[in-house]
Amino acid sequence: MDVTLENVTVVRGGRPVLDIRALSFLSGRTTAVFGPNGAGKSTLLRLIGGLERPRGGLVRIGGAAPGLLDGKPPRHAFAFQERVFLRGTVRRNLDLALDLHHVPPDERAVRIAEVAAELGIAAILDRPARQLSGGEAQRVNLARALALRAPVTLLDEPLSGIDRPARTHLLDDLPRWLATFATTTILVTHDREEAFRLADQLVVLVGGAVYAAGSKGAVFRDPRDPAVAELLGYTVLSCDGVRLGVPPGGFRIGAEQSPAFTLEVERVVDMGNHPHLLGRVGDVRVDIRLGPGEAVPAAGSRIGISATQHVSLR
Amino acid sequence: MNDLAQGVLEATRLLLWGDRELWAIVGRTLTISGLATFFAMMVGVPAGYALARGRFRGRTALLALMNTGMGMPPVVVGLIVWLLLTRSGPFGGLELIYTRTAMVLAQFLIAAPLVVGFTAASVQALPPQLPDLLTSLGAGRLRTLWLLSGEARLGLLAAVMAGFGAIVSEVGASMTVGGNLRGSTRVLTTAIVTETGRGNLSVALALGLVLLLLAFMVNAALTLLQQRRPH
Repeated sequence: MDVTLENVTVVRGGRPVLDIRALSFLSGRTTAVFGPNGAGKSTLLRLIGGLERPRGGLVRIGGAAPGLLDGKPPRHAFAFQERVFLRGTVRRNLDLALDLHHVPPDERAVRIAEVAAELGIAAILDRPARQLSGGEAQRVNLARALALRAPVTLLDEPLSGIDRPARTHLLDDLPRWLATFATTTILVTHDREEAFRLADQLVVLVGGAVYAAGSKGAVFRDPRDPAVAELLGYTVLSCDGVRLGVPPGGFRIGAEQSPAFTLEVERVVDMGNHPHLLGRVGDVRVDIRLGPGEAVPAAGSRIGISATQHVSLR
Repeated sequence: MNDLAQGVLEATRLLLWGDRELWAIVGRTLTISGLATFFAMMVGVPAGYALARGRFRGRTALLALMNTGMGMPPVVVGLIVWLLLTRSGPFGGLELIYTRTAMVLAQFLIAAPLVVGFTAASVQALPPQLPDLLTSLGAGRLRTLWLLSGEARLGLLAAVMAGFGAIVSEVGASMTVGGNLRGSTRVLTTAIVTETGRGNLSVALALGLVLLLLAFMVNAALTLLQQRRPH
C-alpha cells in the first residue's frame, strides 16, 4: 500500500516543524526516514499513523486518510520508540492489539504463537510486560506491531536505548522479520548504520524538509546537498571554490593525487587492529583510518593527504 | 474503660439482636453516602481525566482549585449548601433543606474534588504515550477510556475509598443540611452526636463501632478489587 504526502505542513508554537511538498513511500519497500534529532521524523510518522493532523496538505495511505475508517481497523501498525505496555502479561498485550484490529480469538492465538516463535519471545509470553529488559521489551514492542500484519508498518527508532549485544541481534534479525510480517515499512532513525542495514529506500529529512529521497545507493552516491553529505558520513571540504564531499574511507596519505589537502594531525588513536588519524583540514575535522603496516605520522605534524573518491556538492 | 467495654457489648448486642432503628440508620447512611460517591465518580472521573490530559487555559488553576477542594472542611460545604437551599435562599423554592437529597448534594460536593484530584494524579502517573498507543491500535474513544481506567484503577479505587471514607465519616455537613431528623435524615455520625449529647455514651460508642465496621467492609471490598492481579 503506497503512502503519499502532498504539500504537508505542520506548525507547532508558531514554528514550522514539517514542510513537505511531495513524498511517496513505495508499496512493499522498507524506507528509512533519516535525519538529525529535531528534523521532524517522528512528527512525519505520527502524521502517517493518524495521531496528528497536518495544518495543511494531504496524507494518504492507499489513497485514503490515515486513522479509523467506518469502524474498520487501521491500515497501519505503529511501534513507538517508547516501549509502552498495558498491565499484565506479554500475551495479554499482543492479544489486545490483535483484538483491537478485529482479529477473531482463534486466529489471535495462532498469530501470537507465530510472531513469538519468529521473534524469540515464546518463553516470555506469560511474563509481566512491564518487567522486561530493554532488549526483550523491544522485541515485544516490535512483535505487537508485526503480529498485526498491517499493510503499512511504522517503526519509530526501533533500536534506540538498547544495549549493544541486543542491538546487534536486532539489526541482524529485523530485516528478516520485516520480510515475513510487513509489506510497506517506514522506519525512523537518526543512525546511519541502522538506516543502511534495515532499509532499501532512504528519505533524508533536515529541518522538517525532504533533502533527498530515493534508493539508498542513489542517495548515498549523489548526496548533492552538503547537509545530506555530512549526515551520510561524508567529509565536506572546499577546494578551489568548489565544495567536495569525500565519503568515509575516501582519504589516503600522500598528496600525489588530486584533490590534495594539508592535514594537521591532532591525535593518533589506536583502535586495536588499526590506528586512526584525527586532524583538521582548515576548520574541517578529518578522520583517516590507516591500513596495516602504514607509517603513522606524529601528532602535531602537517602531512599531505588526497581524496581517492569524492562527489561535487552544491 | 468501663464505657468502652460497655460500648463494645452494646454494639455486639445491637448488631446481633438487631435494632430496627439501627438498621434503618445504617441503610440510610449507606444509601446517602453511596449515592453521593456514585455521582462524584460519574462527574469526577471524566473531569479528572480531562484535567490530567487536557491542554487548555486555566488547567493548572482548576487543578489547584480541585486540590484545595480536597481539603475543604465539610461543615463549610454544609453551610454553603444550607445557604443555597434554605427557605429564604436562592433555591429555597425546591424545598430540599433537611432532606436526604440535600445531604447527598452536600456529600457529593465534599467527595467530588477528592475523586477529581485522585483521578487526575493517577492518570498523570500513566505513561503519556499510552493513549496514543491505544489510538494507533484502533481503540475508539470509549474503549480507550475504559482501558486507561483499568490501567489507573489503583488510583481510581483510591479515589472511591477516599471519597466514600470522607463523607461516610463527616458530621458537619450532614447535620447542617439534613437536620438529624429521626427516621428521616439521621445517619450514623449525626446519631453518634445525638447519643453523646444525651449522655448515652455506650450507645454512641456502639454506633461508632458500627460505623467503623461499615467503613472497613466497604474499603476491604474495594481493596480486594484494587489489588486483584490482571490475567
